[in-house]
Amino acid sequence: MVTKKWILLNNEIMVKKDDEFSLHKDKEAVRSYFLDYVNKNTVFFYTLKEKIDYLIEQEYYIDFYQWYSFEQMEEVYDLVYAKKFRFQSFMSAFKFFQSYALRDDSGEKFLERYEDRVVAVSLFLGRGDVAQAKQYAEMLINQEYQPATPTFLNSGKKRSGELVSCFLDEIGDNLNGIGYAIDSAMKLSSIGGGVSFNISKVRARGESIKDVEGRAGGVLPIMKILEDTFSYANQLGQRPGAGAVYLNIFHTDIEEFLDCKKINVDEKVRIKSLSIGVIVPDKFMELAEKDEACYLFYPHTVYKQYGKYLDELDMNEMYEELVTNPLVKKKKINARHLMVKIAQTQKESGYPYLFFKGNANKGHALKGIGNIKFSNLCTEIMQVSEVSDIEIYGKEDQIRYGISCNLGSLNIATVMENKRVKEAVSTAMRSLTIVSDITNIAMVPSVQKANKELHSVGLGAMNLHGFLTKNFIMYESKEALDFCNVFFMMVNFYSIQSSMEIARERKETFVGFGESEYANGNYFAQYLTKDIAPVNDKIAALFEGMEIPTVADWTTLMNEVKAHGLYHAYRLAIAPNQSTSYIMNATASVMPVVDVIEVREYGDSTTYYPMPYLDNDNYFFYKSAYDMDQKNVLRLISVIQKHVDQGISTILHTNTKDSTRDIAKYYIYAHKMGLKSLYYTRTRKASIDECVSCSV
Amino acid sequence: MNQYKAVNWNTPENDYAGMFWEQNLRQFWVDTEYIPSKDIDSWKSLSPEIQQAYKRALGGLTLLDTLQSHTGMPKLLDHIDGLQNKAVLSFMCMMEAIHAKSYSTIFTTVNSTAEINELFEWVESNKLLQFKAATIDKFYRNLDANKVSDETLFMGLAASVLLESFLFYSGFFMPLWLAGQGQMVASADIIKKIVADESIHGVFVGLLAQDVYKKLPNPEKSKEELVKLLMELYENELKYTDELYTEVGLTADVKEYVRYNANKAMMNLGFEELFEVKAVNSIVLNGLNVDTTQHDFFSKKSTNYEKSMEVVYLRDEDFQVEAEPVF
Repeated sequence: MVTKKWILLNNEIMVKKDDEFSLHKDKEAVRSYFLDYVNKNTVFFYTLKEKIDYLIEQEYYIDFYQWYSFEQMEEVYDLVYAKKFRFQSFMSAFKFFQSYALRDDSGEKFLERYEDRVVAVSLFLGRGDVAQAKQYAEMLINQEYQPATPTFLNSGKKRSGELVSCFLDEIGDNLNGIGYAIDSAMKLSSIGGGVSFNISKVRARGESIKDVEGRAGGVLPIMKILEDTFSYANQLGQRPGAGAVYLNIFHTDIEEFLDCKKINVDEKVRIKSLSIGVIVPDKFMELAEKDEACYLFYPHTVYKQYGKYLDELDMNEMYEELVTNPLVKKKKINARHLMVKIAQTQKESGYPYLFFKGNANKGHALKGIGNIKFSNLCTEIMQVSEVSDIEIYGKEDQIRYGISCNLGSLNIATVMENKRVKEAVSTAMRSLTIVSDITNIAMVPSVQKANKELHSVGLGAMNLHGFLTKNFIMYESKEALDFCNVFFMMVNFYSIQSSMEIARERKETFVGFGESEYANGNYFAQYLTKDIAPVNDKIAALFEGMEIPTVADWTTLMNEVKAHGLYHAYRLAIAPNQSTSYIMNATASVMPVVDVIEVREYGDSTTYYPMPYLDNDNYFFYKSAYDMDQKNVLRLISVIQKHVDQGISTILHTNTKDSTRDIAKYYIYAHKMGLKSLYYTRTRKASIDECVSCSV
Repeated sequence: MNQYKAVNWNTPENDYAGMFWEQNLRQFWVDTEYIPSKDIDSWKSLSPEIQQAYKRALGGLTLLDTLQSHTGMPKLLDHIDGLQNKAVLSFMCMMEAIHAKSYSTIFTTVNSTAEINELFEWVESNKLLQFKAATIDKFYRNLDANKVSDETLFMGLAASVLLESFLFYSGFFMPLWLAGQGQMVASADIIKKIVADESIHGVFVGLLAQDVYKKLPNPEKSKEELVKLLMELYENELKYTDELYTEVGLTADVKEYVRYNANKAMMNLGFEELFEVKAVNSIVLNGLNVDTTQHDFFSKKSTNYEKSMEVVYLRDEDFQVEAEPVF
């Protein structure tokens, strides 16, 4: 094994000359990577025909001839290759070939370049409609839209995993329910899914089983089993399984739940790789604010009293009732202390995620159908769910809604530059719809039911900070707020329009449309009083040449939706998208960057990634997220959130010196600003030099 | 009769003991937090030569950490003034024991018992490695007396700095180099934690040494002795590097790296650099950077999080944030 030249070159970016990083080394790294590695390891075909036939005959690709003639496929290939695509950074190229490009069965030779993958995805999603396939191809090769990893990776391959990878479900409070959850976890994980469970319905440690007190083990043992289940079922060893569990903050096991991430805790109750999230109802924030006594409740005693799960009660209404009912067992704590404990746990581990239940349900378009109870592994999926009743053999289960979601992201910079917001949103919605249509997770019926009836998708966006920097706009500025307000309003508008058009074409809406806020028009209220348009001239100039929907357009849309319905129960969600943003040479999601050159550690490599478009002129605009006032970030997210029906993965960036109080104040601010969730808290360590020099 | 004193943290003894105590605590970790089992596939994909070099590098490190925790730190803290300084050293001593064990956590995960036994036999029989340990140990053993001269104490401290800031790095090279190229990444998390610890240990003991050095009547003589010791260890280090890295073709890179770290050790002791260093392998140098890196929580554990030291509670005014309407 010798040092790989391209990795060395990529590392040499960090060598400073005259106080500037050696950015040109990155281009050399890309070149070396192709010349010394990729090209040498790519299977060569004399003609396109030979390539396509080989890939189909050797069972790498599905039989595209069932849908297209060779000439039709050639058209798509020609369109894509004519664009002369080049990777803009080593990270983009490396990530693509490392994780996405098709390899032969020995794993040694590449069978695809980026262009080939784009064509395979387009042909696959086009399902024989060559015009549609070309639209996909154009959008993908322009890098205007990026499907989530499972779709981009697996489309068109004969032997492949699923196209969706995000699943959620409830766990029922009995062995059948728990068994169903573990079984689902194993199956979904084996097909590459990230799975999130709401564990709040499970009775707490020390509660009764069959009316014998003190027998229940609480949520921790189940988490332990889930953790092992995820690491066992790891998609043929390709990537470790990932899962999350959410617990309601009023559940008496909450403190134990938080302690599981402490590093010096007993092995039996320590959780290493399972992600955790806390469900925070408004009532809790109110108790903390008023500094009133706060009670946690033993969920099984609540269920026995009211026939409903603690997790499903409206705590604003029921909290006092639960406190006064002597038959509900409870534990008194200090709400502020619990918030600080959460902050402390975040400082030590980055966890837990926070899910603000009240905010998530306030504008919930499906409130007529049910509540949003928890979120997923990346805290952007927020949909209705209900626990299934799993019976013994021979009796029929009552299957209710789990959650399945498939995701994709717009590249803000390219759709803005190409002035194709409308086209890209509509084409992206089509491609997400196809993925939902052809997905059928029969092995987990609750997930299957949700996909079949609700057709949920999650269109997001990436490269916000990159786009702003390229246009010399500071991320924390008023202009950025202005831009986001207009841009995401447009995305919302066109995604509704597209969903309505699909419903109209197919004469089919999602199940329950009639009871939704779309059907009665309430959802549109925020758009009907005043036009949303750029306030700032500079921002207005960016939108020049694009039509911005007005109140009149929204009114028309509302009436069309009332008439034809919507195909998707949920449409938008902003994922953290990491790997996919690298391929696009974009900044991740709508978050600020952490550094002008990101050091990226993966399970399999360490790579240096200069931010897109970085040069000496715009350097300054890539202010690190760690140096920003997090309130400015949260405020920007709150603006975007108004136009997004699901959630936004929002990362807090803190420094070692930030106290638990500083962090807890961000929770308060986020909650007041209407954010629905907070994802990880990342911490920048003080370097050794820094701490020595400040005191010696 | 002896008067026994209790450590009083109310009054700072010097500018840095409290700060290092805090930093040490913040950095606290245990080996079992990490998941080297993720590396089993990676391990199997490595060539036998690389595997051998990796094992031996870590075996050598185990010996040094053992020496440091069982002899170095306890001997030094016996003669150091200041109860707070002693407390910091004893915490570091415990961490050294955790370091020594954590290599075993990696071995246990990827090697068979027979291989591990063979490795430890190699550690015990390798002359160059034994020479390192014996040379350093000699200066520690000089501290066996009840009272020692400042010169002896200085050399004890300096030997410790050489061990922490200099001798470790021929061993660290291997795991850092592999991790930079995507191999043995989960185990490298452990190594990076150790590197972060050793770097504050080196700085702290270096500061103690500088305090003693200032009191010496004839400092030049001690410096000479130090340089002589360093050169002696350096010669040995070059041979050790040849033995470990020739088969994998990394000798030149490692030697450059050894010189780079020899300079660092001298700087920790408050002296100028000794060697001219040209280009250190960027992959390894970057791997050493213990600043915060981005990572994907699903594919690996972060090395960024630290024990939270103080808990500050919320007050009423913290809730008085009004969500100002943005538009």
